[in-house]
Amino acid sequence: MTLAAALPTLVTPRGIDILGILPEVILGGGFVALLLLDLVTGPAHRGRLAGFSLFAVAASFGSTVWGWFDTATPHTVYFGSFAYDRFGLFVNAIILVSTALVLMISPQYLNRRGLHYGEYYSLILAAATGMMFLAGASSLMVIFLAIELLSIALYILSGFNRSEPRSQEAALKYLLLGGFASGFLLFGMALIYGETGHTQLVQIASALQSAGTSIDPLLMAGIALLFVGLAFKISAAPFHTWTPDVYQGAPTSVTTFMSVTTKVAAFAALIRVFTYTLGETNVYDRWKIMVYFVAIASMVIGNVAALRQTSLKRMLGYSGIAQGGYILIGVVVLNPLGTVAALYYLAAYAVTNIGAFAVITIMAGRGEDMDSYDSLRGLAFRRPYVAAAMGLFLLSLGGFPPTAGFFGKFFVFAAAIHANQVPLALWGIATSAVSVFYYLRVALLMYTRPAVDQPSYDWSRTSLAGGAVLLFTGAGTLILGIFVTLIYTVASAAQHGVLPSGLL
Amino acid sequence: MNVPWLTVTLVAPLGAALLLQLIPRTATRLLKGFTVTATLATAILVWVLVAGMNGTAISPGPLGFHYEEAHTWIPAIGAAYHVGIDGISAWILALNAGVFLLGAVVVSSRSTERLKLFCGLLLLTETMTTGVLLSIDLLLFYLFWEGMLIPLYFMLANYGNENRGRATLKFIIYTVAGSLLMLVAIIALQFASGRGSFDLTVILGGQMSRQPLVIPWLNISTFSPEQWAFLGFAAAFAIKMPIVPFHTWLPDLYESAPVPVLMFFAGVVSKLGAYGFLRFGLTLFPDAINTFKWLLAALAVVSIIYGALMALTNTDLKRIVAYSSISHLGFIALGIFTLNVNGVNGAVIQIVNHGIIIAALFLIVGIVEERTGTRDIRELAGLEKRMPWLYGFFLVVTLAGLGMPGMNSFVGEFTVMLGAFQLNPAYALLAGVGVVLACWYMLRLHQGLMQDPPTPRTENVRDIRPWQGLVLLPMAALMVLIGVFPRPLGDIASPSVQQSVAVANGSLESVITGIPSASGGAP
Repeated sequence: MTLAAALPTLVTPRGIDILGILPEVILGGGFVALLLLDLVTGPAHRGRLAGFSLFAVAASFGSTVWGWFDTATPHTVYFGSFAYDRFGLFVNAIILVSTALVLMISPQYLNRRGLHYGEYYSLILAAATGMMFLAGASSLMVIFLAIELLSIALYILSGFNRSEPRSQEAALKYLLLGGFASGFLLFGMALIYGETGHTQLVQIASALQSAGTSIDPLLMAGIALLFVGLAFKISAAPFHTWTPDVYQGAPTSVTTFMSVTTKVAAFAALIRVFTYTLGETNVYDRWKIMVYFVAIASMVIGNVAALRQTSLKRMLGYSGIAQGGYILIGVVVLNPLGTVAALYYLAAYAVTNIGAFAVITIMAGRGEDMDSYDSLRGLAFRRPYVAAAMGLFLLSLGGFPPTAGFFGKFFVFAAAIHANQVPLALWGIATSAVSVFYYLRVALLMYTRPAVDQPSYDWSRTSLAGGAVLLFTGAGTLILGIFVTLIYTVASAAQHGVLPSGLL
Repeated sequence: MNVPWLTVTLVAPLGAALLLQLIPRTATRLLKGFTVTATLATAILVWVLVAGMNGTAISPGPLGFHYEEAHTWIPAIGAAYHVGIDGISAWILALNAGVFLLGAVVVSSRSTERLKLFCGLLLLTETMTTGVLLSIDLLLFYLFWEGMLIPLYFMLANYGNENRGRATLKFIIYTVAGSLLMLVAIIALQFASGRGSFDLTVILGGQMSRQPLVIPWLNISTFSPEQWAFLGFAAAFAIKMPIVPFHTWLPDLYESAPVPVLMFFAGVVSKLGAYGFLRFGLTLFPDAINTFKWLLAALAVVSIIYGALMALTNTDLKRIVAYSSISHLGFIALGIFTLNVNGVNGAVIQIVNHGIIIAALFLIVGIVEERTGTRDIRELAGLEKRMPWLYGFFLVVTLAGLGMPGMNSFVGEFTVMLGAFQLNPAYALLAGVGVVLACWYMLRLHQGLMQDPPTPRTENVRDIRPWQGLVLLPMAALMVLIGVFPRPLGDIASPSVQQSVAVANGSLESVITGIPSASGGAP
């Protein structure tokens, strides 16, 4: 069934319809309310702000769940600029759960590091709102606005530790390179608009399908620039150079947040634009090559560079680049399984990575983040449960069954093989085998007896919220690795309803 | 009542590992007692199941399974929780339960640092290896196959001598690389069969294409998809076994690992590679395995001779045993790749035999090292007089190891040689050289340790303790018992062996050709 024939039944455009963007509106409202609440909350009571922001996230999550049952037939709202479909809502759910987990680990970490300011929470909510808009954006303009909203909030957050040069460096680097990336993105959008005369994805898709076989080089340039802008956000190689520095410099709770949610949201936009707008068109053969090589480059560079790291945050940064490469396989292959695999991988990546970073926040010292490999040595002797959880997360990142990470990789490789792209799967497994080395090295360090002359470190108690986060992410990692059907069914339903062309 | 017995055997060690967490770290006696009880209970259950197997219902189809259980797991991609045992897995399962019990007994007799972690990991490893042996669904099999590395990694990396870190990483990366190739092959197999299932009994006979793949641009034709998929499986299994030239991880690892780990690692974990060939190599790739059997059998012969020569030239006890293990595993591999009933039967018998022998050998080496403080064969002599009981047990193990008629190895190796002769007399001849070499290195080991006047190192050693005798006694008894009365082993194994060999030689093709082959297939 071609797209043009499918459009009338699938897409019933609605005009102004606040219900279609309710989760985003609630979270945005929470962001504004927090700004005001911060004025009347004393320094001693900032934990309440965390509580309030959690409440806003929970309310938004509730409306996301409600929306899921409301979107048996997906449609666009606001005259085609925003997709109200299960794909967006699924990604919303990942973003919201991740945000909630980050909010739970934040107060203890911020207090220890002396960074507990009220703006933190409003900025987190602002960024999350932008991400959710990005997940549902079905117009180039909304994509750009959403990216700007989330980026600006994240620029500030990564420099949140004003007294530390590294944090400042992270913010500046992120700002400068992010500004460039936004420029690429906008320029690409302008070229695509110039070529097709549309900004809405639905119309771009039908314009390209009826365009015939000739491909204008300017259109391809536009697509390439758009991809660069999005690849920067998912930190795919070779647009990844900011990642390790920013991840290391930013406060760990911010790193936790941005490493997961930004990637999830940007991948949602990437899939919506590339797989479902530019997918079943004659430009696919062109952009496929581009994404293909970026995927391989990410897997190789991410995994090889991670081998030589000695800081946990940097290692997880490079590991995130590599994981992004695996998820890109799900975009390249252009089949339904690829999208489901990417969604499953994103969910798995979210629980696992938040868990791993949560361990680093729990370990944080008063003056600095204890994120060097040395400070991890012997963790199992001091904190057996924290170490066991970290071991689980590392195994999941390494793709060992029965954890979430295994099935993420499994579905991605399966998608590649079903699309007759076996070499892509082989690149994936070769780099996976390399990655086992550095994940297991860290896992082993935790179970190695601390050196005799190693300064004993005063470990703080894990807060109740921190323990809950570890419990949740640990259980999630195992559930996604054993009871696969639970999330697979949901991800499959999300893929089924994706706009602009859910029939792919 | 319809009890899912196999699930019980799978969950029992896992449940025990979890319950173990409730016991305080300092209560070492309780930890040890609990671990031994748990492995003993599992072992008794498994042995009863295996002994009573032939009287139970058997599933229909070209491969028959007993105690079958099937539940949906991931219906969207056709993965199922499908477990069952047949004559091939039954004996290895019995061996599996036995060596873990022995490992637990040995652990409980010595003081181990971080005992609770060790016991927990031991029980987890047993869960995983049991799962490997029970799984009929390919994805479930992979889950256990790869999951097995997790407890093994922590066990090998935390316990053993100072070189263990390097050796362990080498092992893990080797095996992970092999396993991942198998994963790709599994997915390709499921996709190519077009039956939307990972179940061995379902995709059996769903042939992959046998047209050679052509590399675009270069226009070079390579192996067919079926052959590539077989090579993916073969990589995983050949590394795990290991077959020369994929063996380089083994001597280092065996040298650095502690004895209780070695008892079940050498005893059963390395046999799982052979089991993988038997279960999946023979059945899923009838064309490919017939193409590659010459090569694989040749590598098996190389393993036999190479392992034997290395065992002859090394002076470290553990390395000698490690290389002898490569040599013996070569026999098992040779038996499998003969693709005839004799060879495969011999391989199954030899898997069990070697599991018992190698566990006993490592136990003895461990005792000798503990008593004398060295593993260097040049510093050891005259234990015969100092340790008469050990001498007795070691003699039985030595004779079993060199394939003396009347001992268990003879039955296995003889049957393998019969099969090899049927394949090509040259293989049998070369394997015969291996048997001669085995006599040589086993006797060198035995005489080196036992004869001549005692050296300063061995002057004042005590004999084995009673419990050590109690562990060695049933093993020695089994070596003799299987040697003189091997029929039960063959009786249970042969129906399944015959079925698998028939499938490997294309019995299914005639059946399948009647059915129009399914094409395409949605995920």
